[in-house]
Amino acid sequence: MLELRGLSKHFGGVKAVDELDITVDEGEIFGLIGPNGSGKSTTINLICGVYEETAGTVRFREELMNGKQPHQRLRAGIARTFQNIRLFPNLTVWQNLWVARNSPQDLAAQGFLSRWFGATRRTRREIAELLEFADLEHKGDELASNLAFGEQRRLEFARAAAARPKLLLLDEPAAGMNRQEIHDLSGRIRRMRDSGVTILLVEHVMELVMGVAERIAVLNFGQKIASGTPGDVQRNRAVQEAYLGTSESDSPPVDTGD
Amino acid sequence: MIDFVQNTVDGIMFGSSYALLAIGFTIVFGVMRRLNLAFGATIMLGAYAGTWLHVHHEVNLVVVALTTLACTVLAGIYVERLCFHAVRRDAALASMVSSFVIWMQLEEVAIHLLPERTYAFPSLFIAGSFEIGPLLFRGEQTTMLVLAAVMVGALHLLLQRTRYGLALRAICENPRAADYMGIDTPRVMLCAFALVSLIGGVAGYTILATDEQITPFFGLWATFKGLIAMMLGGMGSLPGAILGGLVLGVVEAHALWYLGNEYKDLSAYVLLFAMLVLRPGGFMGQRILGREELAFRRV
Repeated sequence: MLELRGLSKHFGGVKAVDELDITVDEGEIFGLIGPNGSGKSTTINLICGVYEETAGTVRFREELMNGKQPHQRLRAGIARTFQNIRLFPNLTVWQNLWVARNSPQDLAAQGFLSRWFGATRRTRREIAELLEFADLEHKGDELASNLAFGEQRRLEFARAAAARPKLLLLDEPAAGMNRQEIHDLSGRIRRMRDSGVTILLVEHVMELVMGVAERIAVLNFGQKIASGTPGDVQRNRAVQEAYLGTSESDSPPVDTGD
Repeated sequence: MIDFVQNTVDGIMFGSSYALLAIGFTIVFGVMRRLNLAFGATIMLGAYAGTWLHVHHEVNLVVVALTTLACTVLAGIYVERLCFHAVRRDAALASMVSSFVIWMQLEEVAIHLLPERTYAFPSLFIAGSFEIGPLLFRGEQTTMLVLAAVMVGALHLLLQRTRYGLALRAICENPRAADYMGIDTPRVMLCAFALVSLIGGVAGYTILATDEQITPFFGLWATFKGLIAMMLGGMGSLPGAILGGLVLGVVEAHALWYLGNEYKDLSAYVLLFAMLVLRPGGFMGQRILGREELAFRRV
């Protein structure tokens, strides 16, 4: 599904990501973890086309993604959420979802008029489903800026889903969430996967990753130091050393160049 | 007293076309965070194409109007491709400088098209005046106001109710997030240029049809009026552009009446000066600052 080969990104002399090889299979929930500054966010940014790689390749469903713009990658099926929320604050919740529906099948299914001007009945129904998915049924007409923090996070998740991705990149979706919200989020991630979306989860909150991911890769200083099932990774010596001295579950989210 | 009211009414009517010019600047600024200095020149060139047909082929009013609009849109797209599409997003200054250069180029083209200094521009034949009570409504200016109101209404619907309008607003609010939502930003921007050129073309046509003459300096004039009206209202704000245009029109109308023609343009600069001293962000500037800050926090 997603294949990173020898992927590197250097900022001047800093090797933010160095010779990274990762393969994500269709239909799995793949976790990407590592201490602050280990290159997780850079990896996401390379996959969705924010940064241009220094070396290596990104293949998505056999297709080479190198050199493609973010909106082209999205149309190929890669959607993402952001570590720090990036909604459109002065659009309503409903409009935030509508404006995100740019997948090829959406555009092809719509005539010229409905593509640019109105929403078809099917679109309305699907947006209603997304609102239900995000637990925001009664907030459709609210401005996004008026939502509470947790609601904004849920809306961002739903907005990424609105693009009908085949691969969804979640960049620290649990940052700032309490236990109950993390529990709900796990359910939402599984539900998403069960509907046929492959998930790549970048996360600090171990409780979430260990609970929901089927395979995990661990980064440190831009390199992959371990990979395997959550159990394998937890027992791995190198991983324990990389995390030594940092409290795993509540280290503060630091912006790693996003 | 009645003079004052009459001047205010005249000012609002003429100001409505300033508002359209300001909208043209403010939409491009809002979406791209860049200034399109060639905006006035594209309108001038479009109107010159219409005038050329009128001078050489004596076509009727409707053809002149349609040619003006169509050529303004074409010129607008030309400017977008050359100065905005081709220039990287973070190189705002390069866009501004190149749009200035294109302004000069478009002026040259116009001068070669019609080499004399001034040409007659066909006036609106539907323009009969009428009176309501003691107030006189000049036909051309009433047409101007009605057309401007229709344009603003249509623009409002477009921005609030359509997916294209939402995409445009999404780009204004958070260009990078819009990219990740799969919004085809280059295409939306091209459409935005065509849209503002159409709006500017309507404003230019009604102004010229009222003045009944055209010179290559119309580009400069339209750029000044549009920029001043935008600055008065607050850069990037649509309601601000409308308000700024109307205020500018009213102030100029009063200056023309009480001080004379030579003070009309001066009054616009004095007004802008006063605004920059008292409230540098313009009428609606505060909200823009707030949004900018918000955007900054989110990046």
